[in-house]
Amino acid sequence: MTALRFSRKNLALPYALFLLVFVAAPLLVLFYYAFTNGQGHFTLGNLTGFFTDPNTLGTLCYSFAIAAVTTLVCLLIAYPTAYILANSRFKQKSVLVMLFIMPMWINFSLRITALKEILTLIEGNLAMFPFFNAVIGMTYDFLPFMILPIYTTLSKMDRSLIEAAKDLGADEKAAFLKITLPLSVPGIVSGVSMVFLPAMTNYVVLDMLYNSTYIMGSLIGSYFSAYNWHGGSMIALILLAIICIFTLLTSGMEEEDSRAMGGARL
Amino acid sequence: MMKKRTLPVFLLTAALAAGALWCPSMHLEAASHPDADVVLRVCNWEEYIDLGDWDEEETIDLESGDIIGENSMVEDFEEWYYETYGKKVAVEYSTFGTNEDLYNMLTLGDVYDLVCPSEYMFMKLMAEKMVVPLSDGFFDEEDENNYYTRGLSPYIRRVFDESEIGGEPWSRYAAGYMWGVTGIVYNPEVVSREDASSWGVLNNPAYRRQVTIKDNVRDSYFAAVGAIKKDLLTSEAFREDPDYHLKLQDEMNDVSPRTIAAVQDWLQSVKDNAYSFETDSGKADMITGKVVANYQWSGDAVYTMDQADEDDYTLNFAVPMESTNIYFDGWVMLKAGIEQDPAKQQAAEAFINFCSRPDNVIRNMYYIGYTSVITGGEDDTRVFEYADWCYGAEEDEEETLDYPLGYFFVDDNENEDYILTVPAEQADRQLAAQYPAEDVLERSSIMVYFDASVSESINQMWINVRCFNIKKVPVWAWILAAAALSGIAAFLYKNRKRTYKL
Repeated sequence: MTALRFSRKNLALPYALFLLVFVAAPLLVLFYYAFTNGQGHFTLGNLTGFFTDPNTLGTLCYSFAIAAVTTLVCLLIAYPTAYILANSRFKQKSVLVMLFIMPMWINFSLRITALKEILTLIEGNLAMFPFFNAVIGMTYDFLPFMILPIYTTLSKMDRSLIEAAKDLGADEKAAFLKITLPLSVPGIVSGVSMVFLPAMTNYVVLDMLYNSTYIMGSLIGSYFSAYNWHGGSMIALILLAIICIFTLLTSGMEEEDSRAMGGARL
Repeated sequence: MMKKRTLPVFLLTAALAAGALWCPSMHLEAASHPDADVVLRVCNWEEYIDLGDWDEEETIDLESGDIIGENSMVEDFEEWYYETYGKKVAVEYSTFGTNEDLYNMLTLGDVYDLVCPSEYMFMKLMAEKMVVPLSDGFFDEEDENNYYTRGLSPYIRRVFDESEIGGEPWSRYAAGYMWGVTGIVYNPEVVSREDASSWGVLNNPAYRRQVTIKDNVRDSYFAAVGAIKKDLLTSEAFREDPDYHLKLQDEMNDVSPRTIAAVQDWLQSVKDNAYSFETDSGKADMITGKVVANYQWSGDAVYTMDQADEDDYTLNFAVPMESTNIYFDGWVMLKAGIEQDPAKQQAAEAFINFCSRPDNVIRNMYYIGYTSVITGGEDDTRVFEYADWCYGAEEDEEETLDYPLGYFFVDDNENEDYILTVPAEQADRQLAAQYPAEDVLERSSIMVYFDASVSESINQMWINVRCFNIKKVPVWAWILAAAALSGIAAFLYKNRKRTYKL
């Protein structure tokens, strides 16, 4: 019995090692570069520089705007889709879900290249609508990440709750707004975090769709290719801080909601 | 008409994969090449050497004999080296994507013996004392295997002798490989020759969202300086100044804060007007007609026009009247690699010489589309024959034009042996890109390597251009954002309260 416990502990070792080498160590290096200057002296200049430069702040806003609109569009498309999927009477539901996941099997850059040609056919000149195209590209890329978690929460939901609501006199609309929607919040939250954060940095989509404005990802890259590792590290760190704040806010919500769901079940 | 092989993507992939595989084995070279006397580690641009395997029908049938690439240039070199010097050499050939990538690879500890960066990067390597001078024997014209020094264009030789960094001429450390100028590939049905002959085409509102510029700070900077100083650069007084060339070089390398600020404004207007800053899509977008004008290096311009010709779609090439950036890619030997073994230096120089043998020069030029610095000298006229083979007019051609190339081949543009008779259109097409006319080179300027502080301010300028300035956020967007944020906050608050109740 003790041998078993011992070996179980050991099973965690590879991952601990992985964390140490590929997460902890690079983070330390990141911190070092972010808070030093070219001569290796401690400085806060990279931090204050970011928040006083109208160009970097503007890039942050622009990335936020693209990510926010993308998330909203994804949500508006994904929720009804997931709802229909979860409630469909079709016996082989997994086949339907598969159909929505299938685009993810095709190489991402190939898909965006195809999208580029289709958009060119529709719009004529892609460069006229850079923001719009970026949002379409990102939505195309990230939609499955929004559908899946919402679908999972909706299909795991206890149907008897809705029946109970209806027994108590709620109409379809009220049952949806008071039962289904609140209970699916955890799915929405994890969908949002899976779309919003990558959308802030996925600059390949912008590059391929001819949007020449930097977003956070390309900004970091540009600092590194200009040999300014310090500025680049600081921006990466700021992005990390934003992600942390976002996760803290939403994880609070997710916990509360799962407790709420448990409470409702009782 | 020139027919060039379209480089299959898988060859590139294979080269990359091979490069990747070779990298870790670098320190195990003795073990991995047990039968080689010398191991030579070469790092060159991607798609920048003949990889062989041509079709029979691609044979270049010059009067002096057929030329065809059966094996890769690297394999042929290994064979030739053994036959000539009786020693076995093993070449580890790898590639890089940009000069900056190469430099990063070197600073991160990759070791190569022979690399082929552009002039500003080998100037940087020279300034940082990372390279070894070429030996005296390399410049011995008596040695018949010294194809480089025996065949180097007099025009290029002068540039390499006269251009200096840190008081030393380039030619002491660097041997040229390919060269070219920058210009504009354009669709003559939409863009006039006159419009295309100015850097101003990039922010010309007549071609709004239909031109592309390179996503590259140095190239963009050059175009911007040319456009900003157009009036000065094209004025007669400036053109006729006895020190015109020196002054042009100074003006085009102007990095004063005022000029950098003006460049930023100009590039900002290009960003608002151009189709995009492209890294690799420019050639394809030009051929498919998505854009009508495209900033190109001459070698890529040749490739683009060739590809368009295959689709029966005509594209032309123009060199801006303000000034053009003449660039050179050259071989330099790295201290870190060469110093380990003196035999390496001999092998490295032999490699340069082998690539400079006229038949190999032709193979490389045919395969990659760029222009070699080698003419073959006056005894071996195969390179000129090849130019004639590519561009010379057929007997029944109606409109022809005399295109003198003496300045490049024998330092005398009047020399009647070096005048090509070509179809008239070639003055605006592949020939003009592959071998620019002498008057184009008159207005060419080298873009030098900038020191760290200047590079930093230019890089910052470039980042500023590409960023979205917060001052440009309209008021309605602020209001919308505030409304959205307070909406989310309210939702979070409400949600919280509801769950606490349960």
